[in-house]
Amino acid sequence: MATEIREAEQNASVSDSDSGQSDFIETNEIPGKSSNTLLVANDSFEDLSYAELNNTIVASPMGTINSLVKKKAKRSLSLPEREHVEDTVSESEVDDSEVETSEICDDSQVDMIEARVTELSLQETTSQTADAQIPHLMTNTDTDYVNSPEWKRQKKHIFILSESGKPIYSRHGNEDKLVTIMGVMQALVSFVADSNKDTLRSIVAGDHKFVFMTRDHLTFVGVTRGKESTQQMFLQLTYMYNQVISILTHSTLTRIFKQHRNYDLRRPLSGAEKFFDNLLNLMDVEPGLLLTSVRCLPLDSNVRDIVSQTIAQHAKVKDLVFALIIAQNQLVAVVRMKKYYLHPMDLHLILNLINASESFKAAESWTPICLPKFDAAGFLQAHVSYLDEECQTCLLLLSVDIEAFYTLSECKAKIQERLIKYNALAAINNSLKRNSYSIQQCSISDLRHFLYKSRSTAQYTSPELEAPYNTKEEKERLFGLYYYLHDRIHTSGRTLKILFHVGAYETLLGWVTTGFELYAVFGPLVTKMSAIHAVNKLLRWIKKEEDRLFILSSVTF
Amino acid sequence: MSGGKVDIKVVLLGKAYAGKTSLVERYIHNRFLGETVPYQNTIGAAFGAKTVTVNNQNVVIGIWDTAGSERYEAMSRIYYRGAKAAIVCYDLTDKSSFDRARFWIGELQKYEQGCQIYLCGTKFDIIEDNPDLRTVSERDAHALALDVRGENYETSSKTGKDIDKIFTKIAVDYLASKTAHKNEVDADIVELRKHPKKHLCQGCS
Repeated sequence: MATEIREAEQNASVSDSDSGQSDFIETNEIPGKSSNTLLVANDSFEDLSYAELNNTIVASPMGTINSLVKKKAKRSLSLPEREHVEDTVSESEVDDSEVETSEICDDSQVDMIEARVTELSLQETTSQTADAQIPHLMTNTDTDYVNSPEWKRQKKHIFILSESGKPIYSRHGNEDKLVTIMGVMQALVSFVADSNKDTLRSIVAGDHKFVFMTRDHLTFVGVTRGKESTQQMFLQLTYMYNQVISILTHSTLTRIFKQHRNYDLRRPLSGAEKFFDNLLNLMDVEPGLLLTSVRCLPLDSNVRDIVSQTIAQHAKVKDLVFALIIAQNQLVAVVRMKKYYLHPMDLHLILNLINASESFKAAESWTPICLPKFDAAGFLQAHVSYLDEECQTCLLLLSVDIEAFYTLSECKAKIQERLIKYNALAAINNSLKRNSYSIQQCSISDLRHFLYKSRSTAQYTSPELEAPYNTKEEKERLFGLYYYLHDRIHTSGRTLKILFHVGAYETLLGWVTTGFELYAVFGPLVTKMSAIHAVNKLLRWIKKEEDRLFILSSVTF
Repeated sequence: MSGGKVDIKVVLLGKAYAGKTSLVERYIHNRFLGETVPYQNTIGAAFGAKTVTVNNQNVVIGIWDTAGSERYEAMSRIYYRGAKAAIVCYDLTDKSSFDRARFWIGELQKYEQGCQIYLCGTKFDIIEDNPDLRTVSERDAHALALDVRGENYETSSKTGKDIDKIFTKIAVDYLASKTAHKNEVDADIVELRKHPKKHLCQGCS
C-alpha cells in the first residue's frame, strides 16, 4: 500500500495534468462514488472568488421557478376561460371564485409583493428619517460597548451592514450599539472603492483577519482570530449572503435598495436573527458547510430505498420540485423533479431553517423559502412537518404552487402512514439513537478522526467526536486543524494533492483526488508510512460501508 | 387556499409576539407553553384543525396561525384568502399591537369582504394581575369591533379565558350564516321537481 501512495505522489509531481492520473484507486473503487447525481456537485471551494460576485444573478423572467410556473400556465391554456380570467383579474381585485384558478395566483402574487415592498419602504422613509442621522453621532455608550471585554473576547465576529453603513446584523452584541464601528467598516470599503477603483478583500492585523464582501448593496464583514483562512471566511460570508437571499429573495433585496438606499433592512429581517445565529453556530461544528457537502444519516440501503420510493409514490403531485426527509441535520432521503437538482449550499439553508426553529414542531407549516442556487429570484413554498412524536424526523415538500398546502398535507399523511407501516420510521429513529458510528468500527489504530467527502455526490461522512475531542475546547481545536489542513490543500494557485503534517498533538494527512477529499487526524507519533497504510485501509472500510453512509441512487417523481 | 375537509377556514392575524400561536396551542391542545418554552416566532404559517360540535352538528375548523413578522405581510393574502373568519389579535399590554390590528382589519376589509372579523385582546392574565399594564382600553377595542360589525374578546391563553368562546362563536355564526344563506336561496327558488311516484311496477323498484 505504501508504495502505491508514493507512486501517487511521484505521479503528481511528474505529470502536469491533474485529471485523475494520480488516483491510485481505480475509478470504480472510489468510496461513495455515484454517477447518479442527487445534488449539484460541480461547485468547488476553489471556484469561490470575488470575480463571481460581479456575475449578476439571472433576472426573474429566466428563473427556474418562473419557468416552472410558466410551464404550469401553459398547461392551463387549453382552458379558454382561464385565459380570460388572467386578462381581467387585476392585482388589487381578486374575488372568491379565484380559489379555483391557482394558475394565475403566482403572477398576481409577485405584483402584490412588489406593491407591498414599495409601500413598506415608503413607510420606512417617513418613520425613520430621524434615525438616519444616528451614524454621524458618536455616543459614549457606543465606544464603551465596543471596548467591553466581553465583546472583545469573542473569537469571531460577523457583521452585515447596508451600503450606507446602516447596521443590519451582528453576531455578538446588539447591532444598535455598533453603529460607529460599522460606519468605520463602511468607510474603509468605500474608501478603497472610490479612491483606487478597487475592492477591499481582507486586512490582516496581528492574529486577526478582517474579511470583506460587498454584494447587492450589502457589506458582509467577518473578523476572526481563529484558524479560518480568508478564503474560508469568504465562504462563511457567502453562506450569510445566501441566508439573506433565502429570507428575502434577490429580487426583493435589490428592489428595496434601488428605491431607498437608506432602508433599514432589519425590518423585513426581524425574527430572522436566529437563522443567522444558528447558521454561524452550525459553521463552527458542522464540517459540511466547509466541504460544501452534506452528511447522510447512516441507514441500510434497502430501508433508504423504501423511504425514497414511498415519497416518490405518494407525493406524485404536479409542481412539487423537491421532497426530502432530514433528521438531526442529516439527510435521510431526497426525491426530486426530473432535471432539477439541489445544491448542497441550498440544502444547508434548508437544514438551518429546520435546525433553527422550534415552531415547526407545533404544527404543519407552510412557509416561503428562497434557495439562491436553485433560483434567487423567487420563493418556493415549503410544507414542513415532523413525522414522529419526538419531532426528530422532518419531512419537507418544496413546491412552486402557492396553493398546494392541502394537497401536500394529504401526501404527508400518506407518507407518514406508509413509513410507520414499513417500520422505516423506526429504523430512522434507531439510527439516530445509535449516534452515527465510532472511529473504533474502522479498527484502524491511532486514527482519531476523519472527514471523507465523495466529490461526485457532494456528500461526506465522518465518525462521532470521541475522546480526546469531547470537550468544547478540544472540539474547537480539532476544527481548527481541519481548517488548517483544508486551507493548505486548497489554497488557490498551489493546490496540493497530499499533505502530511506533524503537529504537537496530532499528525494530519490530507489527500484530495478528483473523486474524493480525505482529511485524517492521527495520534502524534504516527509515521508517514503507517498513516499512508491507515488511510488506504480506511478507504477500503468506507467502500465496504458506502451503501449505508451515502445516498448513491437518485430517485425522481 | 380552501381545504378539502375543512368547513370553516379561520385565520389569525396580528403583530409578532401578540400571542397568536399560544392562542391556537391553548385551543387545539389545551396547553400553555409560554412559561417553560422561550418565545419562538412562527415561520410562514402553521395549520391546525379541530372539530367542534355546535347544535348537534360537527364543524371542522381549520386554523391558520400566521407569522407576525413584517416580511410575511406581502404574502399573507395567500393565508387569509377564502377565510370565513379572522381573529385579529392584539396584545393588551402593547399599544402598537393595537395599531397593527387596525392595519389587518383594513387589509381584510379591502381584500376579503366575506370574512367575519373577531377582535381579540390577548394576555388578559397579565393585566388581571396588574391593571396598570393595560395600554389598550376596552372601550377603544369595543369601538373598533363595532366598526367592523364584529366582536371584541379579551382572552388569556395562560388561563384559557374565553378562548373556546371565540371559536364556538365562530362556528355558531358560520352555521347561522349558512342557514340564512340557504333560506335566502330557498325563498327565491320555485321547486319544479315532480314528486316521485311511489309504487311503480315491482320490477322497477
